[in-house]
Amino acid sequence: MPHSLSTPDVTTPGGLLLVLAVLVPFVGVLAGMVLGGRGARRVALATLAAGLAIAIAIADTLVRSGAAVVYLLGGWTPPLGVALRADGLAVIMLLAVAVVIGGIGVYARADFGTPPGVREARAPFVFWTLLLAVWGSLNLVFVSGDLFTLYVALELLTFAGVPLVSLGGQPETLRSALRYLLYALFGSVLYLLGAVLLYGAYGTLDIGLLAARVHPEPVTWAAAALMTVGLLAKTALFPLHLWLPPAHAGAPAAASAVLSGLVIKGSWFLAVRLWLDVFVGVVTLPSAQTLAALGAAAILVGNIVALRQARLKLLIAYSTVAQIGYLFLMFPLAAGLAAAQLDDAAAVNGGLLQAISHATAKAAMFMAAGLVYTTLGHDRIADLRGVARALPMTLVAFALGGASLIGLPPSGGFLAKWLLVSAAITTAQWWWALVMLVGGLLTSAYVFIVVVRALAPAPEGWTPKASVPCYQQVAVLALALCSFLLGLAVLCPVDVAGIGRAVVPGIGSP
Amino acid sequence: MTTSLLLIAAVGVPFALLLACIVPAIRERMPPLLALAPIPALAAALFADDTPLVLGNAQYALSFVLDEPGRMLLLVAAILWSAAGAYAATGLRGATHAGGFVVCWLMTLTGCIGVFLAADLVGFYFLLAVLSVGASGLVLQGGTAEALRASAVYLGLALIAEAFLLAGLVLLALATPDGSLLIRDAAAAIPTSPWRDLTLVLLIVGLGMKAGLVPLHFWMPLAYGVAPIPAAAVMSGAVVKASALALIRFLPLDVALPDFGLPLAAIGLFGAFYGVVIGITQSRPKIVLAYSSVSQMGFLVAVIGMGLAAGDAGAARVASFYAAHHLLVKGALFLAAGVVATTGGRQLWLMLLPAAILALGIGGLPLTGGALAKLAVKPVLEDGLVELLAALSAIGTTLLMLHFLRCLAASASPDSAAAAPWGTALPWMLMFVAALVVPWMLYSATGIGTWSDALQPGILWAASWPLLIGAGLALGLWRWGRYLPRAPEGDIVVVSQPAMRVVVRWGDALEGVEGVLRRWPVAGLSLLMLILILGGAMFFDGH
Amino acid sequence: MNTPTLFGLCAVALVGVGLYGLIVNPQPLRKILAFNLIGSGVFLLFGAIARRGAAVGMGGDPVPQALLITGIVVAFSATALAVALVLRLFDEAGSVTLAPDAPAEPPDA
Repeated sequence: MPHSLSTPDVTTPGGLLLVLAVLVPFVGVLAGMVLGGRGARRVALATLAAGLAIAIAIADTLVRSGAAVVYLLGGWTPPLGVALRADGLAVIMLLAVAVVIGGIGVYARADFGTPPGVREARAPFVFWTLLLAVWGSLNLVFVSGDLFTLYVALELLTFAGVPLVSLGGQPETLRSALRYLLYALFGSVLYLLGAVLLYGAYGTLDIGLLAARVHPEPVTWAAAALMTVGLLAKTALFPLHLWLPPAHAGAPAAASAVLSGLVIKGSWFLAVRLWLDVFVGVVTLPSAQTLAALGAAAILVGNIVALRQARLKLLIAYSTVAQIGYLFLMFPLAAGLAAAQLDDAAAVNGGLLQAISHATAKAAMFMAAGLVYTTLGHDRIADLRGVARALPMTLVAFALGGASLIGLPPSGGFLAKWLLVSAAITTAQWWWALVMLVGGLLTSAYVFIVVVRALAPAPEGWTPKASVPCYQQVAVLALALCSFLLGLAVLCPVDVAGIGRAVVPGIGSP
Repeated sequence: MTTSLLLIAAVGVPFALLLACIVPAIRERMPPLLALAPIPALAAALFADDTPLVLGNAQYALSFVLDEPGRMLLLVAAILWSAAGAYAATGLRGATHAGGFVVCWLMTLTGCIGVFLAADLVGFYFLLAVLSVGASGLVLQGGTAEALRASAVYLGLALIAEAFLLAGLVLLALATPDGSLLIRDAAAAIPTSPWRDLTLVLLIVGLGMKAGLVPLHFWMPLAYGVAPIPAAAVMSGAVVKASALALIRFLPLDVALPDFGLPLAAIGLFGAFYGVVIGITQSRPKIVLAYSSVSQMGFLVAVIGMGLAAGDAGAARVASFYAAHHLLVKGALFLAAGVVATTGGRQLWLMLLPAAILALGIGGLPLTGGALAKLAVKPVLEDGLVELLAALSAIGTTLLMLHFLRCLAASASPDSAAAAPWGTALPWMLMFVAALVVPWMLYSATGIGTWSDALQPGILWAASWPLLIGAGLALGLWRWGRYLPRAPEGDIVVVSQPAMRVVVRWGDALEGVEGVLRRWPVAGLSLLMLILILGGAMFFDGH
Repeated sequence: MNTPTLFGLCAVALVGVGLYGLIVNPQPLRKILAFNLIGSGVFLLFGAIARRGAAVGMGGDPVPQALLITGIVVAFSATALAVALVLRLFDEAGSVTLAPDAPAEPPDA
C-alpha cells in the first residue's frame, strides 16, 4: 500500500510549537516544585492557559498548511535523530486534552487549595505538579514519532497517573495504585520487548521509516502482538481491566477525571497509531476483529456491571470500562474499509470522536460525582435525594454527559456512533453496529437511574453538608456541554483528522 | 422569506423559552406562557408555504419543510398544545415546584413541533430524541412510584425504538444517492436500496414501537395512566402522532410493497381489536382512553400498511387526516377526563354531553369529524376482508367509547356543588369546538372530498349502523360485564415480571465472572493468552 | 552457537522466569523483582541485537546502547516508585498484599 508517511527531512514552520507543547508543562512541573505550596497551583493554572494557547496555535498551523507539523530535534533526521510530528489525529487530541485539562484545573482549584496558615500541604502540591506531568506526557505521546520515545512517554504517563490514584493515602487507594502500577509495568515491558524485536528486524524505531520497511513475517507479528497487548493492559481493555475500577473510583474526583478521561487515551492513541500507520500491511482483519471482540465484551460486561453498582463513582468507573470497548470497535472497521480500497475516514473519525466525547463527558461526570459527594457526604446511588435541588447545574451536566455516552444527538457520541455504524454497514460487519446500539441502551439505563434518584425531593429539613463554589459547577457543565455539542463538529468544513495521514490515492472522501 | 421566519419561530420560540428556563425566576413565571408557546407553530401551519428552510453549510444542514401531512398535523397539534398549555397553567397556579414540569413540557413541545417539520434524517432523529426524553420527563411528573416505573418503561422503549431507527436511518443515508440526508430523497431511494428489506423492517419496528403497535403497546396505558392530565392529553394526542407521521414520510407509499404493507396492516388491525378487548375490562377513564389509543393507532397503521401494499400515494393524505382527527379528539377527551373528575351535580351534563359526542365520533358518529375520517380512509381499505374488519373495528370502537363514557360519568366528583375551574373547563370546551369544526375544514381544504359528498344519506347510514350494533353490545357489556376477566393495566409488562428475575440472575452470574477475571493471576494469564491469540490471528491469516 | 544467540537465549529464560513470578507470586515485592527480571531479559536481548547488528569494525550498534541506558533508568524509577508505594502501604495497613479480595469499594471517608 502506498504511503505518504515518511517524515520529511525538514522542520516545518511552526514546528517549534510542538517542542513548546511538550516542554511547557514540564517546565511548569519544575517551577511548581521549586516554588512549592501555593506557588504550584498558580504555576499550574498559568501553564494551563499557556498550553491551551499553544494547542490552538498548533491547530491553526496545521489547518493553514494542510500538512503535518514536524520538528526534527537538533536538526538530526531519523533514524539517527528523533522527530516530533503532529498530524490531524495528534492535533485534535492535543486540543481536546488541553480543553479537558483546563476544565479539570478550574474545578480542582477549589478542592486542591493549600489551607490558610499552612505553608505547603502534600495533596495539593502533588496534585498540581502531577496534573502538569500527565499533560506533558500525553502531549509527548501524541507528537512523538519514535517508538522508544513513546515508551518513555507512556512510562512517564503511568508514573504521573499512579500517585494521583493514591492522593487520599488510605490503604485501599494505595493498594489500587500498586495494582495499577504493577499491571501497567507488565504492559509496558511487553511493549518494550516488541519494540526491541522491531529494532532487531528493521534497524529503526522511527514510525515513518518503520511504516515503509515492515512486511508481514513472524517477527513483525510477534512484535505487533506484544506491543498491542502491552498497550491494551495500560488502556484497561476488558478482560485486562482489573486495576481500573478501584483505581478510578478511589481517587479524588479531579484525579479520577484525569485518569478516566485522559490517561487511558494515551495508550489507546498509540495503539491506533501502530495499527493504522505502522502495521497497516501486517495486521490482518481477524486480528482487528479480535480487538473489536474484546471491545464488544467490554461494552456488554462493563455496562451491565455498571448497572449493578451501588456507588456512583464505581458506576462511572465501570462505565469507563465499557466506553473503552467502543474505542476498539474502530479497528476492524478501518481495516475493512482499507481492504475494500475505501477511505477509512468514517471509522477513524468515529473512533477519534468517541475518544474525545468520552474524555469530556467522563471528566464532567466524575467531577459531578465529586460535587455530589461533597454535598451529600456520600455517593450511594440509592440515596441521592436532594441533589437536584442543591446542585441543579451539576445534575444537568451529568445528564448531558450521560446523553453523550448514550449517543443522543447532537452529542459527539451520536456522531461517533453514526460514523461507526455507517462504516460497519459499508464493510458488512453489522454485528458491531448491533453491539453499539445495545451498549447505548444499557448506558441509558444507568444514566436514567442516577438522574431519577437525584431528582427525588429531599426529606424535610435536609441541608447540604457543604456548599460548593459556583465556578466548580460551571466548569463541570462547560465540559459536559463540550461533549454534548461535539456532534456539531460535522459542520467543520475540513476533515482535520485526515490531514497529514496516509491516504489511499485515487479515492477521495465522499 | 416569510416562510423561513415562520418556521424558525415555530421551533425557535418553544426552544428559546426552554433555554430561558435556566434562570429560576423566569422558570417560575413560565406557566402562563405555555398556552402561547405553540402559537407560532399555528401561524406557520396556516400561513407558511412549502419552501424548505435550510440551516447550515454544504457539509451538513438541518432542513425543515412543511409538507401536506406535516401541515395538517402541525395545525391541530398547535391547537391541542395551546389548550393543554392553558389547562396545565391552571393546575400549576400556586404550585411550588413547577420548574420540572415546565422544562419537560417545553422540551416535549420543541421536539414535537420539530419532528413535524424536520426534513432531514439527523434533525428528525435529534428532535425525536428530544421529544422522547421530554415526554418521559412529563410522565415522571406524576410523582409516584408508578410514575417512576411508567417513565422508565416509556423511556426504555423509546430508546430501544430509537436504536432500531438509528440503524434504519444509517442504512437509509448509505443508500441515498449524492449523500443527501433529506427524508424525501431517502424514502424515494428505499425501493432500490441494497438493504431494502432490512431498512423497512428496522423503520417499521422502530416507529411501530413508538406508535404503540401491539405487542409493544404496553407503555401507553402505563404512561397515560400516571401522567398529569394535560401531559396525557398532549402525549396521546400529539406526541404519538410523530411516529405515525414518520411512517407516512419514510415509507415509499408510491411503490407497491405488499410484502411489507400487508403484514403491517395485519398487525395494525390486530392492535385495533386488541385495544378494544383489553380496554373494556378497565375502569379508570384515562386507562380506557389509553387502550382506545392503542386501538386507534393500530387502525391508523393499518391504513398506512394498506397504502404501502397497494402503492397508493394518496394514503399519505388520508392517513394524516385520520391522525389529525384522532389527535384533536383524544387530546380533548383526556382534558374532559380531568374536567369531569372535578365537576359534580348539575353542571356535569354540560361537560359530559360534548365528551359523548366526541367519543362516539371516534366510532364514526355521523356529522362528526370521526365520520369524515372513516369516510376518508375508506378508499384505501377497499378490499373485502379489510373492509369488513374496518367496519367491525368501528363497532368495537363504539363499544369501547360507550364504556369510556360510563367510566367517565362514574368518575365525576361526588360533591354536587363542585365545578371545574374556568381555567380547565374553557380549554376543554375550546378543544371540543376545534375537534368538531377543524376536521370539516381540513376535509375540504385538503381536497379529500367535499361536504356535499360527505352528507349523502347513504354515507350517513353506512356510518350509523356500526354505531347501533356497538350500542347494543355496550348494553350487553353493562349487563354482563362483571363476568369478564380483568386485565391488569399495561397487560404484557405486568405479566412479564417473572422474566425480570431471570435477567437479574444472569446479571449476578456475569458479575461473578467479572470478579474472577479481575483477580491478578487470571488477569496475568489473560494478558499472555491475548498475545498468543493476536499473534495467532496474524500468523494464520498472514500465511 | 554464537555469542549473541547465547545471550538471546539467556534473555528468553530471564523473561520466562520473570513472567512466571509476576503472574503467580502474590507478594508485591516479589512482583517488583519479577518485573525487574523481565526488564533485564529485554535489555539483554537488546544488547544481543546491538551486537548482532554491529557494522564491521565496531563493537556494537550504538543506538540500542543509548536506548538501553534510558530504559534502565526508566525501569529503575519504576522500581523506586513501586517500592515507595509498598513501604507506604505497609505503614498505613501494616501488611502488603494485593489479595484478590481486597476491597474494591472507594473509601467512605
